[in-house]
Amino acid sequence: MTLTPRGGGPRSMGSSLLDHVLAETLDPAYQQAADARAARERAAAEAGQPLPDPRRRRWRGQLLVALVLAIAGLLAAITYDQASAGAKGRQAVREALVGDIDHETSTADDLSGQLAALRTRVDRTRDEALRASAVGQLALDRLAAAEGAAAAVGVTGPGLKVTLADAQANADSDPVGGSTAPSSGGVVRDSDVQLVVNALWAAGAEAVSVDGQRLGPTSTIRTAGEAILVDFWPVSSPYEVSAVGDPDTLSQKFLADPQVDALAVVSQSYGLRFEFAKEDHLSLPAATPSELHFAVPVPPAAGTPAPSPRSGG
Amino acid sequence: MIPILGLAAGVILGLVFHPTVPLLLQPYLPIAVVAALDAVFGGARARLDGLFDAKVFVISFVSNVVVAALIVFLGDQLGVGAQLSTAVVVVLGIRIFGNAAAIRRHLFRA
Repeated sequence: MTLTPRGGGPRSMGSSLLDHVLAETLDPAYQQAADARAARERAAAEAGQPLPDPRRRRWRGQLLVALVLAIAGLLAAITYDQASAGAKGRQAVREALVGDIDHETSTADDLSGQLAALRTRVDRTRDEALRASAVGQLALDRLAAAEGAAAAVGVTGPGLKVTLADAQANADSDPVGGSTAPSSGGVVRDSDVQLVVNALWAAGAEAVSVDGQRLGPTSTIRTAGEAILVDFWPVSSPYEVSAVGDPDTLSQKFLADPQVDALAVVSQSYGLRFEFAKEDHLSLPAATPSELHFAVPVPPAAGTPAPSPRSGG
Repeated sequence: MIPILGLAAGVILGLVFHPTVPLLLQPYLPIAVVAALDAVFGGARARLDGLFDAKVFVISFVSNVVVAALIVFLGDQLGVGAQLSTAVVVVLGIRIFGNAAAIRRHLFRA
């Protein structure tokens, strides 16, 4: 075993510390114990005394060492066990969560499908009941106009389709480091979608949807975390904004909008995809009608009872 | 021979019975294992050097494990747990490496 003299000379503390750590890899206690043992044996030999039975001492020492090594093995095994169990547990939890999300999403889809079917049934029954009388006919016409304005019914027609998409991830961005997402500048924001939608309304669109989510009078487009929500429904890039209206007027006025101009410049410099095309046939679904929680319809003059506030349609 | 059997018995015991460790101690297990490894390599090298002493080995093992865990525990309390465990791993790693090199020189004469 070689020991360099400690911290001597003009060397800096850091390098002498490193020297020390690098040179003294064996616990000095071993050397000391060996020296002490040798000294004891020498002293015993000089005094002429018999040495204590080395056999028994060695036996005990071996058992002790075996015990300590067993503890070391146990420690290592437990640590390995825990590390692998942790990884497995995380994987299991993740899969369970993904399963939950899928399950709940399909339940929500089922329920909204049921809701749509029930709504059409209610509407049909109501229409049949109203069509019987002249007053009912008048009410039906007014209702149809109101429903169109409130986006409560699906519509079809010619129009304009605007596509906004995030920039492609850089080819040289590290795929391992988890940054597959484009840089923050290359992401479409909720304000961009809002801008496009507002420009389309201003250009005379009669009905607008974002990624198949129809916009009603109280619809919101906002960001939650990293997703854009339209009426609390997440939409993702590419964002397809469809607007029903006269395609020529729409495109003309849309292009004349200075904010659209600004967005075009921004999308060019950040690599966003921003396109629009005239469409002959667009089909927009009905928006989710907003539920009335507090508003109650004004009771008619006659003594007929007011409908319950939650009755839909 | 007996010590090697002990090591194997410990590993098998741990893998078969899956003993649970109190949650409080769990963060210190890896560092304790590194410290134990250092003591074991030190002991092996001392044996090859002809300097092995059971008492020194046992004491160095226990104190290594306890001190390493304590340092990291203290670091956690002070908010520098990650840095201190890095320091412990670096120092012990260098020692393990040095001892492994010495063992290699003994075994292969190279």
